[in-house]
Amino acid sequence: MTIHLSILVFFPALMGLVSAFSPRSLAPKILLVGTLIPLAYTIYMITDFDAGAGLQYVTDDAWITELGIRYKLGIDGLNLWLIALTCVVAFASAVWLSVRTPERAGLFCFHFALGQTAVLGAFVAQDLALFVLFFDLMLVPFYFIVGQWGSGDRAAAALKMVIYTLVGSLLMLAAAVATAVLSNPGGELSFVLTDLQANLLSESQQKWLFVAFALAFLIKMPAFPFQGWMPDAYRSMPLPALAFFSGVVSKVAAYGFLKLVLPLFPAATNDWNVILLILAVISILYGSIQAFTQTNARLILGYSSIAQLGFITLGIFAIDASGQGAQGALLQSINHGLVVAPLFFVVALLAERAEGSEDIRDYGGIAFRAPVLAALFLIVALATLAMPGSANFAGEFLILLGAFSSVQALAFLASIGVILASVYALRMYIRSMHNRVGPKVTSFEMTLRDGLVLVPLVLAIIAFALYPQLALDAGEATVRSTVEAVLR
Amino acid sequence: MSVTTLGWLVLLTPLAGSVLIGLTFKALPQRVHGALGTAAIGLAFVFAVLMFFGLQDRGEEERQLVSVAWDYANTVGVDAQLAILIDPLSVLMCLVVTGVSTLIHLYSFSYMGGDRGYTRFFAYLNFFVFSMLLLVLAANFFLLIVGWAFVGAASYMLISFWYRRTTATAAGIKAFVINVAGDVGLVLGAYFIFQGTNSLDFLTSFERVGEAFTENQTELVAGCILLLVGAFAKSAQVPFHTWLPDAMEGPTPVSSLIHAATMVTAGVYLIARLHPLFEHAPDAAMVGSIIGCATLLIAATIGLVVTDLKRVIAYSTMSQIGYMIMAVSSAVYAAGMFHLMTHAFFKALLFMAAGSVISAMGGNQDLDRMSGFRKVMPFTFACMVIGGLALSGIPPFSGFFSKDEILAYMIDRGGVYLVMAILGYVGALMTAFYTFRMIFRAFFGKMSPEAEELSHGHLYHAPEPTNPANGEVEDTEVGFPGPEHHIAERAGGMKIAMGGLAVLAIVGGFVQIPGVTSALHDFLHPTFHDSELFEEIHPSHTAEWIGLAIGALIGAAGIFAAWTIYGKGGNAASFQARLKPVHTFFVNKWFFDEAIDFLIVRPAAWMGRFANSTFERLFVNGALVGGSSGAIRALSAAVRSIQSGYLRYYAALLLIGFSGLGAYFLISA
Repeated sequence: MTIHLSILVFFPALMGLVSAFSPRSLAPKILLVGTLIPLAYTIYMITDFDAGAGLQYVTDDAWITELGIRYKLGIDGLNLWLIALTCVVAFASAVWLSVRTPERAGLFCFHFALGQTAVLGAFVAQDLALFVLFFDLMLVPFYFIVGQWGSGDRAAAALKMVIYTLVGSLLMLAAAVATAVLSNPGGELSFVLTDLQANLLSESQQKWLFVAFALAFLIKMPAFPFQGWMPDAYRSMPLPALAFFSGVVSKVAAYGFLKLVLPLFPAATNDWNVILLILAVISILYGSIQAFTQTNARLILGYSSIAQLGFITLGIFAIDASGQGAQGALLQSINHGLVVAPLFFVVALLAERAEGSEDIRDYGGIAFRAPVLAALFLIVALATLAMPGSANFAGEFLILLGAFSSVQALAFLASIGVILASVYALRMYIRSMHNRVGPKVTSFEMTLRDGLVLVPLVLAIIAFALYPQLALDAGEATVRSTVEAVLR
Repeated sequence: MSVTTLGWLVLLTPLAGSVLIGLTFKALPQRVHGALGTAAIGLAFVFAVLMFFGLQDRGEEERQLVSVAWDYANTVGVDAQLAILIDPLSVLMCLVVTGVSTLIHLYSFSYMGGDRGYTRFFAYLNFFVFSMLLLVLAANFFLLIVGWAFVGAASYMLISFWYRRTTATAAGIKAFVINVAGDVGLVLGAYFIFQGTNSLDFLTSFERVGEAFTENQTELVAGCILLLVGAFAKSAQVPFHTWLPDAMEGPTPVSSLIHAATMVTAGVYLIARLHPLFEHAPDAAMVGSIIGCATLLIAATIGLVVTDLKRVIAYSTMSQIGYMIMAVSSAVYAAGMFHLMTHAFFKALLFMAAGSVISAMGGNQDLDRMSGFRKVMPFTFACMVIGGLALSGIPPFSGFFSKDEILAYMIDRGGVYLVMAILGYVGALMTAFYTFRMIFRAFFGKMSPEAEELSHGHLYHAPEPTNPANGEVEDTEVGFPGPEHHIAERAGGMKIAMGGLAVLAIVGGFVQIPGVTSALHDFLHPTFHDSELFEEIHPSHTAEWIGLAIGALIGAAGIFAAWTIYGKGGNAASFQARLKPVHTFFVNKWFFDEAIDFLIVRPAAWMGRFANSTFERLFVNGALVGGSSGAIRALSAAVRSIQSGYLRYYAALLLIGFSGLGAYFLISA
């Protein structure tokens, strides 16, 4: 029994609360502290983590005894690195906010910190009701951030986002309650995941509960054809928040599949996985094709995320005998967050060099006076297209290998997405950095303070590219047992 | 130092050079970066030579060493490690790569002198050498693919080096995407092999391939053909070749190093490296032989008619790699690797000589405008002729021994290989013809204005340089060769590099003379010890010499034909007019670009437009959102009427949902 995870989860929100009442200049610094402590925690936990020891740092308290809901938190191979990703990206966003403080900074920081707490909570929750609570809580701060700080038609964007994800959330809520109730008829009601796993439902019950959970996660990702909310929300959300949202929040959905859906509904997973795989492959191809026709830089990244999340879904539902797909999916979740976040910061920097435009047709030739920015952008762009040598490639390699051994034809189709990724990533790079100088461009080098945001992220990408083994070791045992449970 | 330590040093020195240049790009003057880059590669060459001697000191059975740095992705049954394999084949490649690279760095030190992107150029070039060494030293499929993709990225960066030219960026992305398609082929091919052998490690999977697959088993053949796709894309073999001519947008040293001497031969290396797999899947190997043979012919025909100086050499590269691919796919390994080596020498030399002419032309590459450079650029002329004779297979130049050895071995293997060998001789005739067509046109005849100007001691400068491909005014800001760029053949670095390569192009063939020495064959033996065909295919010395003699005669015939048409008194125009339809077909490069555009690029673009304009708008936003947002509008109107904000509305929904459903299940429980 420890309090560590509670500190990890709630410290950001606490600091956010403090910053809400602080003067504008101070608020982002307080947020910075709020993101720094969890970051330090995760670094310690990574060094301390014992890959063979199952759930660690467990906090387990009674909460709502009548309903069997427990306040149970813990770290295992699945969430350790995702938590690290959350903390790294949140920290980068906090640095960015300290450099470029928004209007009403205190409130902005509060919402942002609440978002981080919600995501961390969802990752560490070991109780289904607790997970659902945090999962729904994620929506609130981002709704406000889009609604109040967004650009363009922010009200419509916020509403659309809320409606879409709310549908999923409510379905999941109902399904969660149903799971707990059905899994233990007559006995003690319990939402604790290990209890639910011990008393699996019948196949027919699993089947429809699976659908509810899957819908919630597919909308959150988003995956084809549930991406309707994405373009507006991405166009509107302020970039530092979007970096976190796109980099981390979508991963909660991927994590949800691995943590909840596969272990709780193994029989249904076997029934439905073909549908999920097909959706995954369509997401990959559709997202990629969209990404290379869009001209709005944010949407290029948005649709590329659909494609990347498609790869992750493909890996999770490949369900191959050795768990290569799922292992790759877990690695790729971390990788994708780590590359997409800096890309959004790069978009912000590009916009500053093109009179605020985020349309790549207005860009061009920016590299000339900004060689450092160009170099950093190139590294991130190559990682995004899963260039071999990046950790993203290791992830994609495992995902496609898993798919190859279980559903060979889909692996071939999905690999077209790898080629398309090179088109959209390089297209964006060339259109902004190279070619003739664009109509609105006045290029200049990035400042040292911008470097504080981008350089650590790029270094993290490089470090991870050199030694992905670290994250793979942590997850292997859990991933294997998860997949084996489905195969049984 | 142990051999493996040396192997790691060979690999890491260029990387260190690249990183150092990159990090100090503002702190040090340009020339220092050039010197640093050149020194790093020179040092790598020294290490490679030491590695060679270290390896030769060991017993024949102990010349395959693997050294593991750390586990890379060693998980769930996958055994990807950061490991290098040192054996005669990889050492030979290291020697060729670092040796030629050192000379080309030296050349670039002068050639790129006036370029604003000088520092960037050396950082990229060093990174390229590192990538290429990673490719050849990799001990498993995973790391091979990493090196494979890295050279692709380096090639992309250097093709688009003058990144304000839209033709250069377009050529860059084309090369990159085609190479990624090749990477995917490699990955999928590796999956097939992994599925059978359960290992990504080369030596382990070679050991297991016999048990894991029956000969010509479908999975193995499919895997090997996919691996070949990777080889074809990198080595510009039909139909994945269209990027190579466009890649000539890069600076000439890049064409010389990457698109002639080293990177494009990676496919040849790959097939030789994976020979145990291909020998177990003869059907797949046959595909390699046929494509290699087709490429050598198709590229040669295009080479006959191209009017861009660098593109002539580019098509010639394609064609020569066709010989090598054909050779190694037909289990003629030693000769194939031999030709890879000599080709690196003389083709790099040809490009350097071309670069010298191009700089005298003020950046213009059009053969139609060049003539009479023989007297004003004697050194370049000599180099070009040496390179040209080696390429045409005239004794005693290096290409004579290597190319004709391939064909002699192919004849010895007989059957369909005999047919391919005969086609190879047809290719050789065209090779000699187009090579000397290029030389006669550029160096003989009446002096062009540019040559005239050079004879007065100064260089021609275009008043306002424009891109010949699209008429765009050149942007000299990022370093497209400006007025200060041109140095023709005067600079010392260039002369040393060209001289060195010229010597190698002359004597490089002497390592393997039928009946006298078979040094290369013997050296490579430990790599191919498991191959029966390696020893089995062995023509008699007499047969080899007959082959060599035929080759020499054919080369001479080609040169003579070029002289009668393009030399003194020749009438090229009437010759061209007589063969008009064929000429048009060749000038349009067999319409490969058009076919790819029609079959792949346009449908993809169309799908993108459809997805965006129709599907997304009508289906996703219309049907899915339209329905729900209509409902929302009604709902929110209702909510507004009770003066509620969205948050309350959300909270209320959440609450109602939670309690309603919760209540239902609790009651029913």
